[in-house]
Amino acid sequence: MAHSGGFWAEAWRRYRRRPLALAAVAFVGLLILVAIFAPAIAGTKPVLCRYQGRLYAPCLGYFNRQWEPAIFTKDRFRGTYPQNLKDKDPESWAIWPLVFQDPFRAVRENEWPGRSENPARDEGRPSRQNLFGTDQAGVDVFAKMVHGTTVALLVGFVSMGIAGTIGILVGAIGGYFGGWVDSLTSRVTEIVMCIPTLVLILAIIAILEKPTIWHTMAIIGATGWTGIARLTRGEFLRLKNAEFVMAARAAGAGPLRIMLRHILPNALAPILVPITFGIASAILVESSLSFLGFGPPPPSASWGSVLNDARSNLSMWWLVFFPGVAIFLTVLAYNLIGEGLQEATDPRLREARK
Amino acid sequence: MSEQPILVVEHLETHFPIRRGLMRRAVGAVRAVDGVSFTVSKGRTLGIVGESGCGKTTVGRSILRLVEPTGGRVVFAGHDVRQTNGAALRGLRRRMQIVFQDPYGSLNPRMTVRAILEEGLVIHRLGDAAARRDRMHQALEHTGMAAAALDKYPHEFSGGQRQRIAIARALVLEPEFLVLDEPISALDVSIQAQVLNLLVDLRDRLGLTYLFISHDLSAVEHVADDVAVMYLGRIVEQAPAARLCAAPLHPYTLALFSAVPAVDPRRRRRRILLPGDVPSPANPPAGCRFHPRCPLAERVCREVDPPATRVDGHLVHCHVAARELERAGGDARVAGSRMADALASAPDIYSHSGAQSVAPAPAP
Repeated sequence: MAHSGGFWAEAWRRYRRRPLALAAVAFVGLLILVAIFAPAIAGTKPVLCRYQGRLYAPCLGYFNRQWEPAIFTKDRFRGTYPQNLKDKDPESWAIWPLVFQDPFRAVRENEWPGRSENPARDEGRPSRQNLFGTDQAGVDVFAKMVHGTTVALLVGFVSMGIAGTIGILVGAIGGYFGGWVDSLTSRVTEIVMCIPTLVLILAIIAILEKPTIWHTMAIIGATGWTGIARLTRGEFLRLKNAEFVMAARAAGAGPLRIMLRHILPNALAPILVPITFGIASAILVESSLSFLGFGPPPPSASWGSVLNDARSNLSMWWLVFFPGVAIFLTVLAYNLIGEGLQEATDPRLREARK
Repeated sequence: MSEQPILVVEHLETHFPIRRGLMRRAVGAVRAVDGVSFTVSKGRTLGIVGESGCGKTTVGRSILRLVEPTGGRVVFAGHDVRQTNGAALRGLRRRMQIVFQDPYGSLNPRMTVRAILEEGLVIHRLGDAAARRDRMHQALEHTGMAAAALDKYPHEFSGGQRQRIAIARALVLEPEFLVLDEPISALDVSIQAQVLNLLVDLRDRLGLTYLFISHDLSAVEHVADDVAVMYLGRIVEQAPAARLCAAPLHPYTLALFSAVPAVDPRRRRRRILLPGDVPSPANPPAGCRFHPRCPLAERVCREVDPPATRVDGHLVHCHVAARELERAGGDARVAGSRMADALASAPDIYSHSGAQSVAPAPAP
């Protein structure tokens, strides 16, 4: 018999045979690249520039304002680099982002040689200068969306990271120890299940003085673990009496070792599926919040807040279409990945193939 | 062969509570093992036979405390297993290991053979990496597997090979005592003999002591020095293997033997068919537990739990057998053949009670 590798190698082999699921992984990979390189794709700050004899990367200011080199504030650049660089140091040079547009402000007249001012209000339909059009204030939608990718991805990963950790922990403890411990964790799960996430988030945002996107993620994570906990509990209940678990106990293994080394790896595949679907729904929750106007406050951009801009003037179809398609494709991609995982790790399908 | 007992089991009881209702109160108990006693001497093999659900698997697991016994005493090499906990229990578990029935279920599918074999060594902190590797190679060699198996996963092996790996996992800890819980029943018939011979060979070479649990009488005859027959959580008859085969006394044992196909057609015995099903261990019958199915049952059997009758090393719990033994002056062979004749001439209940009848044939 040929060496066929471990479980995950096998699962990946089966996953690869599904073109749609593979495309979904590629799409999420692309989003990750876009999020990481957002300042290099769209922005008005040089990716790299030489100024008064030294090298700087002002584009890092898009990740964190503190990371923008202080010298440009001192020299009163006020965020407009091309003209200032030329005026204050004729020797300077700069590598610019692919698209010269800012996600937070409209580009002004002659900021870039030969480029006119961004159109504002309902004039800003998609053009060569503004690929996805501009919003009411004349801010480029493409730049907003490129920079909003970070939020969309973070929301999914962070909130489901929190939810997955809580869910697996609670479910594992309840399922493995059983008895009154199980009764307790199950009741807690049911109580949390009754909390309406969206209403809780709105309430907390109303209470907090400075709500940020991190609060939203924490709440989605803190309420979204119930399904994962139930599934984990079921898997642990099923596996704790498996003969290989008994064999491990006979070898002297303690509860922690049995849970981590023997049960969890066997339970992980079915648990990953709802986590993937959870990422998709977390993105939807964040988009709905932003659409309602409770999204991350500026300067962080989000796809949902672009949608929110469209509410005041529905004739600006590009404000609905582009973020809508982006949200739709992302949610679809996660759902396809979840489905692919389910098919690739389903033990019944595994046996059927052999 | 020394006669020093390595394992003493006294009145072992393992009851599983039946919980009902909101508060999960115990409303009863499944008496899976209900007062089992036996002794295994060092280097010998005790076979436990019985049909599915008679509690023989639970006996094996209770001895290792893989299920928690609810009563009785288990003494292994001088240590009371039920009073041992923590590190001391871990130490005892190294010395007594178990091989399970289903080699597809007993090996973690996500671990390589190396990880499976090494785990016990790591837990018990036995040796450094090189010493552990030597022990794993040795255990695989003992079971007839190549060292190349270490980097493969269980699903890459056949059932017989998997069972060899499971045996190697038990051996790698160098135990003195092995519980073999139906180690060959899940295997193909062609593989069964190989694994059985391997087990016998290992016992003789490594001086191991076995508790061999099986529903297959012929396998037990082949491996065991002593045999205990279990029915509904109790031992009904216990004797050295040769004696039991030559002169079974308990009606249940006689029925079991009649179900074993004989190779010689002239020796073919009349098949004794027992009426009815095994009663539920949650509600065992009063008196002798076998009486509802026993063709020889008398009034005393329904009322009084039969005590042990002992004739040089042969132990039987049966009122009728006790009387026959007395009549035969303690000659088990004479008493046994009288019992067999009585059973054979008992009214053929099968034809009267129709399809209800179930023979104590082993599960396939």
